[in-house]
Formats: sequence, C-alpha cells, structure tokens
Amino acid sequence: MKTKFAGLAASTAIALIFACTNNAFAQSPICADTVHVLAQPRDGLTLLEDYRDEFKQLSGADFQIDYLNEGDRRSKSQADASTIGKYNVYYVDEGNLPLFASSGWLVPLMDHYPAAYDYADFDAGRQQTATYDGKIWFAPVLGGGDIMVYRKDLLDAAGIAPPATLDELKAAVEKLNDPAKGIYGIALRGKRGSGDNVWRWMTYFKGMGGEWFKDGKPAFNSQAAVDATNTYLDLFKYSAPGTQTGSWDEATGAFLSGQVAIIIESAPLAGMTIDPAVSQVTDKVAFLPPPAPLTGGGFAHGFAIGSKANPDKASQDCAGLFVAWSTSKENEARRLAKGQSGELNRSSIFASVEFAKTFGDALPAALAATASHTAVNFWQDARWPELGNQWGIELEELIAGTRTDVKGSLDELNAFATNLVAQ
Amino acid sequence: MKQRQALPYTFILPTFVVLAILAFVPTIYAVIISLQDRTLSAPGADFVWFKNYLQLFGDRRFLNALWVSLKWEVITVTATMAVAIVLGILMFDATGPRMRNTLTLIFLIPVLLPRVCAAFVWKFAFHPLYGLVTYPYRALTGKTLDLLADPNAAIFAIAFVDVWQWGFFFAVIILKLLEALPPQPLEAARLDHAKGWQIHYFVSLPMLRTALISLVFVKMIESLRSFDLVYVMTRGGPGVSTETLDMYAFSQGFIESGKISYASSMAVIMMIVTLVGFTLLWKKVK
Repeated sequence: MKTKFAGLAASTAIALIFACTNNAFAQSPICADTVHVLAQPRDGLTLLEDYRDEFKQLSGADFQIDYLNEGDRRSKSQADASTIGKYNVYYVDEGNLPLFASSGWLVPLMDHYPAAYDYADFDAGRQQTATYDGKIWFAPVLGGGDIMVYRKDLLDAAGIAPPATLDELKAAVEKLNDPAKGIYGIALRGKRGSGDNVWRWMTYFKGMGGEWFKDGKPAFNSQAAVDATNTYLDLFKYSAPGTQTGSWDEATGAFLSGQVAIIIESAPLAGMTIDPAVSQVTDKVAFLPPPAPLTGGGFAHGFAIGSKANPDKASQDCAGLFVAWSTSKENEARRLAKGQSGELNRSSIFASVEFAKTFGDALPAALAATASHTAVNFWQDARWPELGNQWGIELEELIAGTRTDVKGSLDELNAFATNLVAQ
Repeated sequence: MKQRQALPYTFILPTFVVLAILAFVPTIYAVIISLQDRTLSAPGADFVWFKNYLQLFGDRRFLNALWVSLKWEVITVTATMAVAIVLGILMFDATGPRMRNTLTLIFLIPVLLPRVCAAFVWKFAFHPLYGLVTYPYRALTGKTLDLLADPNAAIFAIAFVDVWQWGFFFAVIILKLLEALPPQPLEAARLDHAKGWQIHYFVSLPMLRTALISLVFVKMIESLRSFDLVYVMTRGGPGVSTETLDMYAFSQGFIESGKISYASSMAVIMMIVTLVGFTLLWKKVK
C-alpha cells in the first residue's frame, strides 16, 4: 500500500514538474542527427530509453546508447575519443575526467547546458567532482561515497555489534566467516585497475593517513601504504570466492545472493540491497557509514560532451541538450518512482516527500551520515589512470600470492611514480 | 602473343594492389609508430627510434608476456591436436554414418560460437560459487574452487575453452580426412591382424602427415590471437599470470596508459618473432 501510494505520488510529481517546465524547454528542434552515447549499464539509462519519443519531440532527433561494463567503457571511450571520435556523449567518471578534459576530448559543459535544467540543483559534492581545472565537464548520472551494508540477522545471531572501527571490522569479519555454511565475512575487490581493487584499497590508505605526495615527491611506499596493504590482504582471507579477481559485480553479487556478512562499497549498493528484483536479503540488511578511520571513496559518473563528434556549436548544443534532458529533474523523478536510489543526484529529489516515502528513514539517514566520511581519495591528475592501474596489477599479484613482498612492491610503485612524474 | 600473356596480369593487378595496400600500409604504419613516442592523450609525436624496443627488454611484464604466450602456444596447440586426433579416430572407428553426421554437427557448434560469448559462458561455468564446472568439487569437498584466481591453473582454464572450440572442430576435419583415405592400406593392416591403435599409428596418421602439419600451423596462427578469451576471462590476471603479448600490448595502448608507440613496438616484435619462427619451422617440417 505504502509502495503504491509512493508510486502514485511520484508519478503525480513527475507530471507536475513536466507540465510546469515543458514550456520552458520548448524550442525549435536543434539536433540534426541521432545522438550517439557511450555509457555503462545503468537501470536509470534503461528507463531513459522508454522516453526516447520525448527527447525526439524536444530535440528533433533520436539517441542511441551503446553499453559497456565499467572497465571496457573506460578503455573504449579513451580509444574512441583519442582517435575517430564517434560518440557525441561520453559517460565519464571522476578517475578519467582529468585525462579527458586535459586532452581536449571534451567540451566544457556549461556553454551548452540549457539554464532551465538547473545544474545548480545537483548535489554539491557531485558538482565538485564534475569540475576540473575550474570548469564543469559533466552532469551526474550517479555518485556518492561509500556505505557499509551488513546482515543484521548474522550479526545478531553471532552477538556482534555493527563495527564502528577498523579493528572491530577485522574481528567481526573473522568471526562471521563460515564457509562451511556458505557465509563469508566480507566481499572486497581484487581485480586489477585504478577503479577496481585500487579504488577500495585507497580508503584504507587515506584512512591510515597515507598521502600520494610528500614535499612534492611520491610517497607511495610510506608506512601508511604498507599498513593499508597488509590490512587489505588480511581481510581478503575472508572475502567471498570469486572476488579475488573480481570487481563491483562479483563483490556485490556475492552480497546480494546472501553469502556475505559485511560489505563496504559505493553507496548505490544500498538501494540495490532492498530491491527484491536483485537482492535476496532485502529484509535482513542495515546500513552504517564505513568504520573509522576508513574514508569513503567520493565518486561521480556522468554525461559529458565529446569534442571530435561535435565539431560545431550546433552539434555541441544538441549533445548538451541530451546531457541536460537525460539528467533532468523529471528523469530523476522517474528513477525515484522506480525505486532506483543509486542513480539520484539532485538536492530537490533528496529533499522531496516522495524520496522519504519511497525509501523510509533508514537508508536516507545512512546516506546522509556517509557524507562526512566521504573524501576524494585518488590523485586528481591526468596521469592517475596509468599510476592507479600499475598499482592495481601489483595489488592483484599480492592478492593472488604471486608476490609476497608488500614493501618491495610499494617501493617498485614509488619508483614508477617518480619516473612518471619526471616525464 | 605478348598481349595474350599480359591479359591475366591486367586482371590480377587490381586485386594485388588492394591486397598489398591492406597488408602493407597498416604494417608500415605500425613500424613507423613504434619508432615514435606517440600517446593517445597527445596530438603530436617525435621520433625516438629504438628507445621503445630497448625499453621493452627491461620491462618485466613484457618478458613475462613473451613467456606466457609461448606457454599458451604449446598448451593450446598440443591439446587441440591431441583431442582432435583421439576424437577423430574414435568417431571413425566406433560410429556408423548416422551417428557420425550427428556428432559432426554437434562438434561444429563450439567453433561457431563467437569467442567472446564462449568466454563469458565458461567464465560463469568456472565461477567458484555458482559454476557448473566447479559444482562437483563443491559437492564432494564442501570447499570452493576458484580456477581463474589461481595463478597456476588460470592459463589451463582459458586453454580449456580454446581447446573446446578448436579441438572438436579439428576432430571433424580429421574424421573427414580419414574417410577420404584409400581403404586398401587399412584393410591390408587389418588382414595382418594389426590392432586398432597400430593401424592408426603406423598407417593412417602417417598417410595424413602433411594435412596434420597444416592443421598444426593453422592452430599455431589461431592461438596467437588469444586476446578475446584472455580479455574476457582474466584480463591477464591473476597478476600477470595469463598476460599474453597481445593482451599486454592492448593494456599499454588502451587500458592503462595510452602508450600507442610502446604497444606498437610489441606488435612489431610479435610479428618478427612469428615470421622468423614460422619460417624456420616450416622449412624444418618440409
């Protein structure tokens, strides 16, 4: 009943918002050709495809979204943007934004973003992540920090309080790990990559006081880095099978299928755990910010205008219209109506009555509580993907056991970074 | 008379020109790029001549990739030929025409499946928690088996998929080759009371020597293109234990750092090693 009412309320809100704002956006068609978009699979984007007629009416053209999973999307978009430039709109993220922006592969967004779509309404943290070198480059599709999701039933049965510190986390994970019963203490990411295993490792590194540079010199082999790596490797002893070379999909998949006790992951996971369509533990989960001193990995993904496929102002305006429309208040309200909590980015949506009605009190409160733990952990530089990926391989080797010398590996990384910075 | 001799060349020339452009232009371009310091993120590039090549021989991942590629070639070519010969002979000896046709059809299905699809299907089959392949181990021991996360087993798990696709296909080819052999030598061997394996070991397989060597070469060339399987199933991991040369070149060019010139120098080395290696092998077996 509550869900039905929430759905009805959200639908009414969409209709009202659209009725009020449609006139503001009404204009002569500005797109001459189909807008080609490269993205990664998101429920919100699948939903967007149901409303393609609306975009046609608005712009005069259709859109075509090609989907690739995260790692493939990153490499494909880099290859495309630097060579033929087939895509009008790229799905970019916090990690590759500096590279894309400094290489001239993107057009600054705000020159082509219709003011009526109210960019200032986006969450302030996400706006900050979308900014590089003083310019805004993308409109957020999703973002946030990290959240700890745990199985209330398992912790209660074991008489364990939800961990608030890293030491408590280690103890809880060890105690809850029971492979004979098909339960694993935690699910981490082992797959190589700046956005995969390194993304999760960074929260330990930064939380333990690690810095990428000290006095202008790389400091990747600091004691904090050694401690963070050892902690990560220790926790991996209790990580679900398949995660040793897995990433988001494998880690969250193990949790959603009911085989993991505690997981600390990017915030969109929280909404997924209470969605019966994808989760088998909907009534058994609870949320908290990550245990201290872990810093939540602040991130944002979004749509940006490609420069090669949009050589003139008209095509840039067209791509800008798609970016604005696809991330508009109306489309966020539609995602809210479908219960897609992980793909909401606008302050007006978070503050809406429909948001509270749809998700109750616990999830919004937990998401709000994670804000103070969220930080930008990675090195905001165009060379970050190269450096992060180098460490990703070494870290995967440490997890797999083909390397055992943690300090030696970090020394090697430091030498790599020193060489990279000197180039 | 001269005009009559020139006519065939007139017709052949355009085809040769097209083939030459398709074959040589990208190759020459790759060689030129390998002598530069071109990256994806910068529009310009300078010639650094052999710097990339010299750098390669101090790169532990490149040396590892050479070793992994060699292992991959040996494992996949040997296993494919062994599976194909055994299955081909079994079908020839133990099945009637109808069964042979049915098996032929079934054995052709794996190779018709796109490699990326096959890789995804088997990746899931090898999953330690949900996989079909790992299920018996889970059921018998109560433990999980993560083959793709094991640095020693991962290359064999990927090779298994390659052999599943090509071993069955080659088995069909070998069956058809056996069927095309003249029956008299086989009949004579049977009259001399030769056992089944002796007939094949001493008579039929030696008669197929040239065809089998051709199949080995085809498989060697095919195995060099392992990229799609490795990319989907392990992306070169765990660590660098399944990182073949083409996988490493792609990583350097498009995933990790956008070093197109460095990746091209690997491609050129791979081309040279392949050309020299295959020429020597071909001359030896000839």
